[in-house]
Amino acid sequence: MSPVDSPIPYYPVNDFGPLMKGLVIGGVGIVHVFLAQFAIGGGMLMWYLERRGQRGHQDARTFVDGYFRILVLVSFVVGALTGVAMWFTTIQVGARTIGLMIDEFHWLWATEWVWFAVEITAGYAFYRYGPRLGGRARLRLLAVYALASWLSLFWINGILSWQLTPGRWLDGGGVWAGFFNASFWPSLIFRTAVSTTLGALAGCIVINTMDLPRDRKAALLRHAARFAAPIAVMPVIALWFFAVLPADSRSWLLGGSMPMTMFVGVAAGASLLIGGYVIVGLLLKRLYINGATATLLLALAFGATAAGEFVREGARKPYTVRGALYSTSIRPEEVAALRELGATAGDPYPLTTTYPTEQLARGAKVERALCDACHTMHGANALVELTRTWTDDQLRLNLAKLQHTKGFMPPFAGNAEDVEALVQLLRYERDDGAAPPAMSAAAATPETLAQIARWLDEAGTQPAGAVK
Amino acid sequence: MWPFDGSLASLWLVLYLASFALHAVFVGYVAAGTVYALVAAIRRSADPVAAQVRDWLPFMLGAGITAGVGPLLFIQLLYQRRFYTANLLMGPRWGAVVPALIIGFYALYLAKASERWRRLALGTGALCFGFVAWSWTELHQVMLEDRTWRAMYASGARFHLELAVVPRLAIWLGAMLALFATVAAWSAAPAGRRRLSGLGLAGLIISGLTAAGTIVVSRDFDPAHGWTYVLALAAIAAAVGWGFAARRPDGRGLSLATAATAAALVAGAVVREAPRLALIERSRATADHTGGLVVFAVTLVIGVATIAWIVRTVRRAPG
Repeated sequence: MSPVDSPIPYYPVNDFGPLMKGLVIGGVGIVHVFLAQFAIGGGMLMWYLERRGQRGHQDARTFVDGYFRILVLVSFVVGALTGVAMWFTTIQVGARTIGLMIDEFHWLWATEWVWFAVEITAGYAFYRYGPRLGGRARLRLLAVYALASWLSLFWINGILSWQLTPGRWLDGGGVWAGFFNASFWPSLIFRTAVSTTLGALAGCIVINTMDLPRDRKAALLRHAARFAAPIAVMPVIALWFFAVLPADSRSWLLGGSMPMTMFVGVAAGASLLIGGYVIVGLLLKRLYINGATATLLLALAFGATAAGEFVREGARKPYTVRGALYSTSIRPEEVAALRELGATAGDPYPLTTTYPTEQLARGAKVERALCDACHTMHGANALVELTRTWTDDQLRLNLAKLQHTKGFMPPFAGNAEDVEALVQLLRYERDDGAAPPAMSAAAATPETLAQIARWLDEAGTQPAGAVK
Repeated sequence: MWPFDGSLASLWLVLYLASFALHAVFVGYVAAGTVYALVAAIRRSADPVAAQVRDWLPFMLGAGITAGVGPLLFIQLLYQRRFYTANLLMGPRWGAVVPALIIGFYALYLAKASERWRRLALGTGALCFGFVAWSWTELHQVMLEDRTWRAMYASGARFHLELAVVPRLAIWLGAMLALFATVAAWSAAPAGRRRLSGLGLAGLIISGLTAAGTIVVSRDFDPAHGWTYVLALAAIAAAVGWGFAARRPDGRGLSLATAATAAALVAGAVVREAPRLALIERSRATADHTGGLVVFAVTLVIGVATIAWIVRTVRRAPG
């Protein structure tokens, strides 16, 4: 059967070496989100300062014409291209996930594309013709640019938040039930606040590079700093976001998974520092912010964005689309069939590495199908290290009852032979391939396989947490 | 009318082809324009067309990338498994198109801003865009050849070095020259327009001869329900238009060449798609029943109107 025709889509899997796939997509995603949000906030800031400029604040006008070139050269180009890179990277990491997102939301994605096209057109028009245009046309162009970029966020936000809280969409509520999901509004407001803050901080850096006396810079800085004020509402919005999260996701973030909790702490701590400086220092005390401090705050904002995106991705576990698709690119309803058939029965792609036994080769295929999306063998989030000290039976038990071993893991989507093959592969890899006798017949006696099968049955095929 | 019917997949196909044609106009301008500007820079000629092209190239690339999101979206609906599989088989080497585009983009800005670095920047840009064009052509071929997927994956090969890629690229090269000449000629002075007429004609000849040669060698002619004939007639009309434009740059030759090139572009998009229409995945239950079409249609109208307003506004700008 051609790979195109199999009932469950199987895709070739690429090895990224010691890099966990999540790190690859995370790296691209964080840069993209940061730049895209900066472009939105920057657009709003420019509209505001253009308005000030037309009411007599000449420096505001000078700022707009200088700042916009930086915005165009950085955020348009790298932002737009990292958007395309996100698409390609997502295909590399989870082709079935992006496929489901496209299937479900293609018209809304196309809607987002139209606004993106308007944003780019308005942006370039201002970049190229802005200095020659009259005040009214300038203001309108900037308004179109800011509105279109925010609407682009509006549409993509619904698709991304759906992954985490699809809600009534799971009951057949349709595309709008999925789009206006529980985390849609807190995410949108949060991202809008982040956008204006990034725009303001970048604006403060640019103002410090302008050839102006200090008092005129200070006046301009005060105007720009107002755009960071929405950071004050972020704690409330963050609490709202936490409140609408599924209970198990919330528990990972609030102590259930220390790495995730630490990232929550980093995001909250960095945001608190920025917010404190902006609210107390810039807005209340009217302090002068120099370029170095503004750069430091922007770097902190990047750290907060990175941590926040990690939290958002991590909170989805064990799904990429909650209730619909596991991080292994297997649908929940397919697990039972794979328990019967085996995890790799339909996998048409050969291995690219040779192994001394068939069982090890099967283990490698199982690892590729069920583990590779989030783990490596020896690099980041390494399977060998996570299981190094477990006894053989403990390893069998923990894999067979995977969703109970760790609540953010999906149920094992294979049969007893698959579990045993994976166990033997992990031991083989742990011992640097030096102990093939571990794969002897004794390691997979009928009694062992029967025990694994019992454990699989006890674990069931449902995830550990509630679906919604 | 073939290949369109009343199905939803047909609507995706229409949008795919329309957005692809728009994308082709911009990327054709960028790829051929970069080479044109590079040649002018190497020859150190004070060519006003080259100066204008350098000025517009960064915008055109931005527009090309933006327009490219449309076909990238719709191809995932039409040929999802094939597209994803080809992406994955080509792996990180496929992902290299993004850094290539970023480098190419900044190279175009550098070429615009610095006379000292112009030749190097344009050369770098031309290499980057050539790499991207070649990668897309390879990807297209990999998508079609599912029988080779297992072997390609097993071997770890990231390149699909097949002879079919060469004529495909050559046809594209010709089409890009023709598209570039068509767009650039409208803002060129008579002398430049004459030169661009020759370039447009050369592009049509390259595409036509390569296509004819491929048909003769492969002995495989697909009339695509008449679209191939439409393409041939439109290309001939465009050639006639370029002939007139070369003789009288201020005459109606350019209008004829433009209209005929537009027709050839649409027909060419259909002819290009014809061999893989049978591969469209038609049983996409989730995609078939989803909503949002009305929102998209309304947004598209608003978006087009807004862009038209922007264009009108900047055209009125003094100077």
